[in-house]
Amino acid sequence: MEKKQSLSGVFMNGVITENPTFRLVLGTCPTIAVTTNAVNGIGMGLAATFVLVGSNLVISLLRNFIPDKVRIPAFVVVICTFVTMVQMLLQAYVPVLYESLGLFIPLIVVNCIILARAEAFASKNAPLASVMDGLGMGLGFTAAITIIGCIRELFGSGSLFGLNIMGAGYQPMLILVLAPGGFIVFGMVLGIANIIMKRADAKKAAKEGAQA
Amino acid sequence: MGLHISNAPFIYNKDTTRSLMLDVILALLPTTLAGIFFFGLGALLHVLVGTASAMLAEYAYQKLTHKPVRIRDCSAALTGMLLALNMPVSAPLWVTLIGSAVAIVLVKELFGGIGDNFMNPALTARAILMASWPVAMTAYTQPVFSLGLQADAVSSATVLHGLSATPLQMFLGFIPGTIGEVSKAAILIGFLYLLLKGVITWHIPVIYVGSYALLALALGNNVLNGVLSGGMLFGAVFMATDYVTNPMTRRGQVIFAVGCGVFTCLIRNFSSYPEGVTFAILLMNIATPLIDKYVKGARVYGKGKK
Amino acid sequence: MRGGVHPLDGARGGKTSTSSSPIRPYVAKSVQIPMCQAIGAPSVPIVQAGDQVKLGQKIGEAAGFMSLPAHASVSGRVVSVEQRMLMLGNPILTVTIENDGRDDWAELTPLGKDVESVNAASIIPAIKEAGICGMGGATFPTHVKLTIPEGKSCDSIIVNGAECETHVTADHRLMLEEPARIVNGLRLAMKALGVKYGIIGIEDNKKDAIETMKAAIAGIEGLHVMPLYTKYPQGGERQLIHAVTGYEVPVHGLPIDIGVVVLNVGTAAAIADAVLLGKPLIERVTTVTGCVKEPANLRLRIGTSASEAVEACGGYKEEPYTLLMGGAMTGICMPDDKPPIGKGTNCLLALTEAESKTPAEQPCIRCGRCVDVCPAGLKPFLLKHFCDKGDLAGAQANDVTECIVCGCCSYICPARLALTASFKNTKDAIARQARRAK
Repeated sequence: MEKKQSLSGVFMNGVITENPTFRLVLGTCPTIAVTTNAVNGIGMGLAATFVLVGSNLVISLLRNFIPDKVRIPAFVVVICTFVTMVQMLLQAYVPVLYESLGLFIPLIVVNCIILARAEAFASKNAPLASVMDGLGMGLGFTAAITIIGCIRELFGSGSLFGLNIMGAGYQPMLILVLAPGGFIVFGMVLGIANIIMKRADAKKAAKEGAQA
Repeated sequence: MGLHISNAPFIYNKDTTRSLMLDVILALLPTTLAGIFFFGLGALLHVLVGTASAMLAEYAYQKLTHKPVRIRDCSAALTGMLLALNMPVSAPLWVTLIGSAVAIVLVKELFGGIGDNFMNPALTARAILMASWPVAMTAYTQPVFSLGLQADAVSSATVLHGLSATPLQMFLGFIPGTIGEVSKAAILIGFLYLLLKGVITWHIPVIYVGSYALLALALGNNVLNGVLSGGMLFGAVFMATDYVTNPMTRRGQVIFAVGCGVFTCLIRNFSSYPEGVTFAILLMNIATPLIDKYVKGARVYGKGKK
Repeated sequence: MRGGVHPLDGARGGKTSTSSSPIRPYVAKSVQIPMCQAIGAPSVPIVQAGDQVKLGQKIGEAAGFMSLPAHASVSGRVVSVEQRMLMLGNPILTVTIENDGRDDWAELTPLGKDVESVNAASIIPAIKEAGICGMGGATFPTHVKLTIPEGKSCDSIIVNGAECETHVTADHRLMLEEPARIVNGLRLAMKALGVKYGIIGIEDNKKDAIETMKAAIAGIEGLHVMPLYTKYPQGGERQLIHAVTGYEVPVHGLPIDIGVVVLNVGTAAAIADAVLLGKPLIERVTTVTGCVKEPANLRLRIGTSASEAVEACGGYKEEPYTLLMGGAMTGICMPDDKPPIGKGTNCLLALTEAESKTPAEQPCIRCGRCVDVCPAGLKPFLLKHFCDKGDLAGAQANDVTECIVCGCCSYICPARLALTASFKNTKDAIARQARRAK
């Protein structure tokens, strides 16, 4: 079924229909851990996107050569390569972000979004579609964790992308930048996103029903 | 003649959810009055803001989600009041307001409303406020005995922080602390009222304090200070006895109460927090479904024994 | 007994309005006698419309062991023998007799003048011939109860004078006014079974009845009166046995499994009449109370319509909202006031709207009171989840079948959840399922 999808369809599938954070609920560990501010969210999201696109492309190209029994180790080797590249790039060009993401960059290796797409999509689809899937999934992940990062930063430290927004008198709600706040905000955003998507689905179904 | 058909029984005990909640609110009045006596009208303001905003939050949420509006059962009012009594009087009013809304919307309604929340709303809100605004939440003031709205009181360490006070001072409430917790005498009046009205049984409060005292004794703490200062009695009487978040069976309640006592003592002794009541009760709240699952209730009639 | 509630505490009264009103006989103008008056097979009518019958004449023959004969409770003319809708459920073959006011007794054949002169072996057949069944409400044929299954033995008979239900004072008055009948009935049942111990259990809120019964058994070996703590449902058969003997009837078992038989005080009195006077069961004491003008204990002929019974008490004081057979904890709603008094009808209770309107259900607040009051040791709050979902297996795994439908959990629930009703429906559904599987 997925083969019949257009490339833009594959892309939009990753961003919205099967958004890894809100729909598949994958990669929740970085979602909660690094989203203490918006910049971290974007940084983490883009780093993961880079790895996802790269690994999807390579795995898709190699899909006919990787023996089925050792595919997971093979995928992990490919992913590791790209993660190492990302880590070095970040360290070289944005050391501040590198510092604040810290341990979570090497942990991209075990980010289940990446492994899941390799397994579920790249190993079965052509390179171009796999790249689009990686891009869509990656940007969907980026968008999701940036939203969460924005909310946590805005209320938890009164700023957005490092700029003070709420004014000097604002007393930030510290819990939002702590781990429990991550769970609370993630849960609520997940809930709201699902309400919105359910409504959209219902509208779509109604439209299709009317056409039929 | 139109006769109606329904199922037995046809008479009911007079207690309803609403009357039970009102009873607890009534039982909180002595300690509220004591709070006003010690900390001035600022304390009253906190209670009013907490109660009103909790009710408003519940009304707004239930309207927004098209659920039946249940503020008439007074459980929201009780939650707001409990939270306010857990605030130090010097905390800004907006903290109480946010806390009430958090308690109702986040802790209670999002999990399904009354009866379905797995943690005590007021206590969870207090924990969230403590993590969010630790300075405001721990600025315990000395009693001021003024009727001023703004307590221009001096912040002070509590007894648990090392302040010394006589047992009588602690019992009557002449110590720094949150609005509702300082006067043990007033709390005990409320406890007696709840016992007399049959709203709660003695088990949880007594076993809670008892197990704490035993462990504290074994660890060489000053037991009298531990019980009479801090929020121990308030928590044991009004928080741990919350129906929704403690076990259904008597045996389960005993385990729950012992757990509360042990955790309170452990947290006070071995963590960076001077006070452990909030987290001890919350921990046991979370353990409640587990307790209910594994602790068998009364033996079914005719089973086992002959 | 474990659990239980005090449904009569407070100002609601209940029993006080009739507990001091002496039993007053009332003879109905006409009676409707259903052929299905007790648990078991319906009896077969042996009269036709137009026949003249005498008081106590047999009008229906028992159809097998688990079945009872029916008797005319007035003398007069049979008006009709037809299917009739009485209570909710299926129509029942009913004999209607118009009273000629003469009360001509049919020929009676007593077995003996006193307990000593009666032949033990002939007692149980006589009980069956008199159409006696459990008069506390269960209407289980008494001769079946007294027929001990092979391999089991009975060592004591308990007479149930607890009368824990609200409003009902029929047994109380019977104990006060006719203790000799009860004692004779108990002694006859003991003689029939060769049992040494007879215990009369009475709740301690009926001090006068305890005194009266104590006086009535004075000097008779093997008989005891046992005051019981006043708490509903102390008079439930299993609860009573536990209170009196300290033993519990095993799950799925019967009282006879632990060597006990329980008889209601009214049943005991009926046994005495059947054996010593030869009279079949044609009348019983029923408390008519609630929103009637003059609440009273009436000695009514079996088959008297509820409306006639209420008329005998001066009619309704207020428009009734519900009319119950039985007390307020376990009573059954009547669809109208036409149905007749049966052998198990100990009370007619008319309640106003304010008293009996079903309150709206609110969410459970997990207060645990239902667990505290359940006399069967169940967890009603948990059971309700299964019952509401229609999960019969889950409900059974949590012992819904052990629920005695006493109503304590619904009574105590602050959220006014209809716990008892949902358990009753589930038990019925389980029973239907078992029948279908057979």
